[in-house]
Amino acid sequence: MPSKTLDFSKIVILDGAMGTVLQSRGLKPGGVPELLNLEQPELLRGVYRDYIAAGSDVIYANTFGANALKLARTGKSVAEIVTAAIALAKEAAAGTNVKVALDVGPLGELLEPMGTLPFERAYELFREMVLAGVAAGADLAVVETMTDLYETKAALLAVKENSDLPVLVTMSFEESGRTFTGCTVASMAHTLTGLGADAIGLNCSLGPDKLAPLLRELCEHTPLPVIAKPNAGLPDPVDGHYDMDARSFADILAPMADAGVSVFGGCCGTSPDYVRAVAERLEGRAPAKRTPKRESFVCTPVRPLPITGIRVIGERINPTGKKRFQQALLENDMDYILDLAVQQEDAGADILDVNVGYPGVDEVEMLPRVVKALQGTVPLPLMLDSSNAQALEAALRVCNGKAAVNSVNGDREVMDRILPLIQKYGASVVGLCLDKNGVPQTAEQRFAIAKRILDAALSCGIPREDVWIDCLTLTVSAQQEQARQTLKALRMVREELGLQTVLGVSNISFGLPNRALVTRTFLIEAMHAGLTLPILNPNLTELMDAVAAFRVLSGEDESCRAYVERFADYEPPKAANVVSSVKKDKPAQSAASGAAPASSGDALDDAVIRGLKTEAAALAAELLKTETELSLVDGHLIPALDQVGEGYETGRVFLPQLLSAAQAAQAVFEVIRTRLAERGGESVKRGRLLVATVRGDVHDIGKNIVKTVLENYGYDVVDLGRDVPPEAVVKAVREQGIGLVGLSALMTTTLAAMEETVTLLRQLPDPPKTFVGGAVVTPEYAQRIGADYYAKDAKASVEIAREVFGQ
Amino acid sequence: MESNIGEILRYLRVRGETPEILREQVEITARELEESLEPSYVYRAFPLTLGADGVMLTGSGVTLTGGLARKMLQHCDTAVLLCCTLGIEFERRLRALERRDMGKAVILDACGSAWVESGCDAAEAEIAARFPGRYITDRFSPGYGDLPLSLQPAVLSALDAQRRLGIHLSESFLMTPSKSVTAVIGVSDTPQPARVRGCGYCAMRNTCDYRKGGTSCAV
Repeated sequence: MPSKTLDFSKIVILDGAMGTVLQSRGLKPGGVPELLNLEQPELLRGVYRDYIAAGSDVIYANTFGANALKLARTGKSVAEIVTAAIALAKEAAAGTNVKVALDVGPLGELLEPMGTLPFERAYELFREMVLAGVAAGADLAVVETMTDLYETKAALLAVKENSDLPVLVTMSFEESGRTFTGCTVASMAHTLTGLGADAIGLNCSLGPDKLAPLLRELCEHTPLPVIAKPNAGLPDPVDGHYDMDARSFADILAPMADAGVSVFGGCCGTSPDYVRAVAERLEGRAPAKRTPKRESFVCTPVRPLPITGIRVIGERINPTGKKRFQQALLENDMDYILDLAVQQEDAGADILDVNVGYPGVDEVEMLPRVVKALQGTVPLPLMLDSSNAQALEAALRVCNGKAAVNSVNGDREVMDRILPLIQKYGASVVGLCLDKNGVPQTAEQRFAIAKRILDAALSCGIPREDVWIDCLTLTVSAQQEQARQTLKALRMVREELGLQTVLGVSNISFGLPNRALVTRTFLIEAMHAGLTLPILNPNLTELMDAVAAFRVLSGEDESCRAYVERFADYEPPKAANVVSSVKKDKPAQSAASGAAPASSGDALDDAVIRGLKTEAAALAAELLKTETELSLVDGHLIPALDQVGEGYETGRVFLPQLLSAAQAAQAVFEVIRTRLAERGGESVKRGRLLVATVRGDVHDIGKNIVKTVLENYGYDVVDLGRDVPPEAVVKAVREQGIGLVGLSALMTTTLAAMEETVTLLRQLPDPPKTFVGGAVVTPEYAQRIGADYYAKDAKASVEIAREVFGQ
Repeated sequence: MESNIGEILRYLRVRGETPEILREQVEITARELEESLEPSYVYRAFPLTLGADGVMLTGSGVTLTGGLARKMLQHCDTAVLLCCTLGIEFERRLRALERRDMGKAVILDACGSAWVESGCDAAEAEIAARFPGRYITDRFSPGYGDLPLSLQPAVLSALDAQRRLGIHLSESFLMTPSKSVTAVIGVSDTPQPARVRGCGYCAMRNTCDYRKGGTSCAV
């Protein structure tokens, strides 16, 4: 349909504020502007007509907040409001070339992980609006005033998947260059460009002067038309009036056309006069020629990552050959996986490879679940590692930002299955230099496959900078000549195709003594040959040291700053076999000081008491050579924790110290669990209990404190998180055989949910014991609602667990 | 602007002698926070009238119900609504730290609570300066005394706080980001002696550890 396109070869003029104008024409504070579509149609017709007269090519229908969440209290349906709004706008635009946009604003609730609204629910809410907008005959959709890239993605997908409307997407940034949720301009640009927006830009929050540098940055990061829809300056803090008049607004905004902005409008505080002034300034202008950067790029909202040097991909999230990881997957132990992510981040990984493929694990369900958990915990971009197209699509969908996918190969059937997903979700993709016939023996043959993959990707609409090639590492002890072929192919791909290159380096040394030396030497050679994205274990300090040194030599590490910082405390090894610099824990706080410990057992007690995680884990590993797991726990760990706990009771030790000691104990438990998993044994736990912050309560540090302490006494803690409905607690108790439930509430407004949960639990045929706590909970209240125990603090919860489960 | 270290230690329930190493860590954490994260705030002034339902703030859609607001604002003609927050960045840091070291995380959490109060103090000083020759009341918040938390939606809406500060409110009136504060400050032509600080006004007065121990938190 010809009407379903927008002509971006010309400057496009949008409209100005709706809310501000409605308020100036009588909308009451606190009123719902969308109801005016039904109640005062004439008022809206007037606003639309005024914008059209002022020169708008596109008017936004009054549907900004017309989603089911915001309309819930009005008694009106999304379809009613959207239909009325678009009909009014179309009436006003009748007989002109002006297009009517379905306006989609934020839902008003914060998405997971910072909030509680699931991504899928957000998508459904937007979808409802889009379907109504299409039915009502909107010419295009605009997604605007977004501050959360995740929510923006949900809205954009909803438009793309449920309509053929062109879609403009604008987000609101603060002067810092980030949105409220921390999203950067570059992350926004690459993510939305990849997802197929027709034009992207910035609206609201700032005036044109403050928005200018951000608009320039945006123009560099996207080939799409760029939109500017600023506020009329800043509001007066006392009376709320915006400080920039129409003329100054246009004087500052119109020159942004030179920087590449080609779609203009106004937001809060503007009016038809502002739009007219801008339209007049831009009369007869054509969009400026632009030369946006073409760079390889992945990101999360908060972490833009241009591939402009060596970027380390952490390989640890992968169950292959790791019994402890396999056990964690089968037991749904997300904490274990998240700890691996955190360790790799701290060790300097730039990207995390995520592989959860293991027999008995449903990847289609597990991969997106792990992706969601990871992006709630680490800021690093992810590389989704699977050959299961369904799992990849499920994960790409919920990925916040621009991810990479590992991998396709030269097999046509594989490319046909995976490449369309890469294109749809705007990801980067790793192409392995192999096909149905296996790994070719010569560099030239591998290069030919690389080229085949690149061509297939390009014809699928994937930009060349999103294609990363893996020339494949083979084990040098088995096929010695292949190391040279890999390096040669790598050099060819880099020099002749100019693509990014990926290589898992660890396999090279398999079967050899002193593997680290061979791996490191190969890594250095490969980086020299043009490897930009090594996949490795970042916890191996010698490999990361080599990367740090290479970055100095290549000039990437400007003024050697990162290198100098990395080795600030470096001391040359004194003995021959000293391990390279490992950072030791600094004592957080010393809970109890004493004479130097006499034995490694005492040393372990001391490390736990002083909260030294790394030392405690190392000492435990040492002790386990001579002691059993059980004697270590009962003979050292628990007594040490009890000593700290007693200090806490008597006011000599305070909460931060109690917790640091608990986490040192957790590190020891992890050593024990790993040993047991390697031996193929069941994980040893003292009893399974559940903790949750009740429905309505979104702050959970108190619950997390209790969880930390209980886990470190060896209890298996199922954590349902925050804002947990009573039914969800009951369900988990029934399904997971829970003997004890701990509930936390922080606010008087959520106590009712606590009572409801306890009541429901007591109705179970075999009810679990319950304990409750939190800032507003009292022993009397606990008793009144029928809880078995009141826990005044985390230490008390341990006593309760001991009573329930026995020592 | 700096954080109140004594207040942070109280949030951490430290009583009696503070171990030097703990105090030092609190100071370091507070300083790092101060240097790296500025509280953001918005406020707006509204003329007020005393009505049967409570104190009405003209043009805001807010009516402050209950005895506290009436008492605090009885000699005022204007009320300023304020919202101050540390933003989502603080949540992110806190969560990152919780996974690494829970002990350090509770210290950061306490520092955040004190730092957002310092932000309110700064906003209050700025507000006072906007009304030269006039007097302002102590600031008080929904949840204090009989000023209900259920006012939060109206207060945040009057300040357009979701759009301007990124504040989201749950159905049980909890704000995200967690280190966020809303408050009311009255403006008057006469000096304002009334004070809202002290146990008598505190919602925690029945459950407070300090009171159980026969002391107070001295706020």
